[in-house]
Amino acid sequence: MSKGVVLVVDDEPPIRDILSFYLKRADYQVLVAENGIRGLEEMSKLQPDLIISDLRMPEMAGDDFCRQVKANASTKDIYFMLVSALDGSMSKIGGLNIGADDMISKPFHAQEVMAKVDSAFRIIAMQNEIKRQNVVLREFQDRVNGEMELAARLQMGLLPALPGIAPGIQYTHRYLPADGIGGDIYAIAPLPDGSTALMIADVSGHGVTAALISSMVKTSFESHLRLSLDPLAWAVGMNQDLSRNTLAEQFATAFLAHLDPATGKMAYVVAGHPAPFKIPAGDSGKIGKPEQLSGKGFMLGIDADLPFTSQHADFHVGDRLVLFTDGLDEVERENRTYLGEEGLMGFCEDLPTDAEQAAIQLIEQVKAFNGPATFSDDVTLVVVDRVD
Amino acid sequence: MLNIQARQEGNAAIVTIQGKVNFEVTAQLRDVIRDTVAQQQPKLLVINLEGVSFIDSSGLGLLVAARNSVDKSSGKLHLCGLPAQVKKTFDQTNLTNYFSIFTTEQDALRGA
Repeated sequence: MSKGVVLVVDDEPPIRDILSFYLKRADYQVLVAENGIRGLEEMSKLQPDLIISDLRMPEMAGDDFCRQVKANASTKDIYFMLVSALDGSMSKIGGLNIGADDMISKPFHAQEVMAKVDSAFRIIAMQNEIKRQNVVLREFQDRVNGEMELAARLQMGLLPALPGIAPGIQYTHRYLPADGIGGDIYAIAPLPDGSTALMIADVSGHGVTAALISSMVKTSFESHLRLSLDPLAWAVGMNQDLSRNTLAEQFATAFLAHLDPATGKMAYVVAGHPAPFKIPAGDSGKIGKPEQLSGKGFMLGIDADLPFTSQHADFHVGDRLVLFTDGLDEVERENRTYLGEEGLMGFCEDLPTDAEQAAIQLIEQVKAFNGPATFSDDVTLVVVDRVD
Repeated sequence: MLNIQARQEGNAAIVTIQGKVNFEVTAQLRDVIRDTVAQQQPKLLVINLEGVSFIDSSGLGLLVAARNSVDKSSGKLHLCGLPAQVKKTFDQTNLTNYFSIFTTEQDALRGA
């Protein structure tokens, strides 16, 4: 097998012959042509790896030939050596400027040309290897991107379907993961006694690992719903599940609530999560002044033995809960300030009564406040309205 | 920008952190803490957070992991110099009750 294909283009037969002789002796396959036009014809039959072309030739000179080879996407990577007498017709730099990869000055020693050819083929081999690796990398990247898209769709499928209705509530959400998939998760589940369970959680970090843990959080939440109607028991159980099944520095902040439409009460646990805002029903169909629910507590997954406490609040018809993850209010602006929970609560003072419109307005207000800075963490917003 | 410095004082190792502690820098910080614990096996690890402007959940996770790792080698972890913003994050997550927290580095070293 030959070491590669070399096209020799020169209008002087003796030069073609001598170069051909040395090249063939060194195991290269050789094509010959007497000018640029013939050279292009040869190339259409078999694409060379390297071209050695004279500058001065009738019909199509070497510089034109070189420009045409380099202008064509399918031939531009062919290594081009331009042979020129250094008599002022073309300087070395001039040759390189029109796209030639190397210059050989006339008169030349065949050994010198052969040394340059061997060196050129080492570069060609390297370029081919880089191209090959690029193809492999691109295929890998495409596969990973494809899998991430699939995972993102699956994760979206884990969220409650919209528009959301459960006993005593209507809700909507905005879910904006930072890396396609994310560590935020929320769930709303009707319970057998006519009440509703609600959970929002934010797993530390983001990306694939956080996404895997977020689905674990949801599964854990759902399994504890079957055992108890008490959010305190859910928190204790989920904390144990997460402490046992994740690495030391992985945990989730969460807000867990049990909403009972029959009594108009809710019991809840704040586990290291920003406490939601409650917006009580106002006069004549308007909404009232938002307040942040009280309570604080450990995140889930730090230590299996940590204690939790639950809180209670009213949740009457017309009341609204705004649940969120910290990605919504902790965007660093250009002047290094943050919206913060107080700022976010301020935006909740004049939200439309329609939950969907409220979610749209709140996200728009936050984006406008952040200016050019964009969300860098996973962002989840859930608006829950207490209805008849 | 994050600036981390580790030094030894008697049986104690002191890690001083300055800057914003978030997801992008946790790997760097994790390495420093792990190397410090592995090489010095300190009886007391003090992490000085005086210069920390912001800490996110992955940063908190790192501190929890640091406590776990010194616990395993029967050491202690003391935190000190929490700025108001960081203190607020600790309060909200009850971590104020999980870590031993001191006002100054000297207090943290004395353990009082």
